[in-house]
Amino acid sequence: MKLRSSGREAEKIEPQMAPMIDVVFQLLIFFMLTLNIVEPEGDFNVNMPITDDSPSDDMPQFPDIKVRLVANEDGSLNTIRLGQVNLGNGPNVFAGLNNEILKIIGRPGNPITKDMEVEIEADYNLHFEYTLKAVSACTGRLDSSGKHIIRYIEKIKFAPPVGGPSTEG
Amino acid sequence: MRIKSNKAVVAEIDMTPMIDIVFQLIAFFMVITNFEQIQADERVKLPSDSLAKPPETKAADELVLNIGFDRNQQGEITDPQAYVFYTGEKIPVLKFGPKFEQEARIYKQKNQDPNDVPVILRSDALVDTGLIQDLIKLAQENGFTKFAFKATQKTQ
Repeated sequence: MKLRSSGREAEKIEPQMAPMIDVVFQLLIFFMLTLNIVEPEGDFNVNMPITDDSPSDDMPQFPDIKVRLVANEDGSLNTIRLGQVNLGNGPNVFAGLNNEILKIIGRPGNPITKDMEVEIEADYNLHFEYTLKAVSACTGRLDSSGKHIIRYIEKIKFAPPVGGPSTEG
Repeated sequence: MRIKSNKAVVAEIDMTPMIDIVFQLIAFFMVITNFEQIQADERVKLPSDSLAKPPETKAADELVLNIGFDRNQQGEITDPQAYVFYTGEKIPVLKFGPKFEQEARIYKQKNQDPNDVPVILRSDALVDTGLIQDLIKLAQENGFTKFAFKATQKTQ
């Protein structure tokens, strides 16, 4: 049997490239324009249950750790006081606070940390970034690889702000 | 003299490498793009912290509030008053109470307890801490008790 094609040249089927390239470019431009670069963001959880201000009858097992943040006139940080200890000010003050918290809890993951609370008392005009750093310093630190968080104290609460316009009677 | 009549040669460009690259680009942009609606306001300059990690579980419903200042093109603050940027409106922080009431009512209509809805505070680094606490107080008065502060992840 003789094949028919033997006599002919093998015909090359050329797919139509132009429409595909059109569509592909459209897609490319669409994705380029819809791209918005967002910095990764993280959360710090704070639980603020509604409580009446009257002191509770049963004393908690551990007293709250009190962190006092004092502000300058312009809203920058003046000093941090942990209980009665003055940690001062400076670039390493939050690392210092972190260390002090570690000393109080003994070791990270200590079961007593479940019952412990940090109370942050800040001046009214203190810039929020310092408060957030204080919250961060009490919450924990990163491990040496920088990937995992070593938790210190999870429960953070706020005392009413000191000073400020809303202290009307 | 006889001119050699050769057929018009169509110059064929090899499309294959270009299409390869273009597909690569499309794949890249598709992976990078997130269509997730984040309720972020670009006027808010978040504080940064190394401990700020994206949450592992995301609540189904959350109330995101952007607290910041009016800023000009250079990012300088033009108005010392801090505002909550809420659905296109600009509301002074201390006047946000009625909006919380409204939000709480909406959640209740949807048979949700405002207690279970976390309030995500995306606050500018320069906002007074006292104002944030006042805002939290306003939220508490309307039944919200879970709060979270947002910060950008600092890379060292």
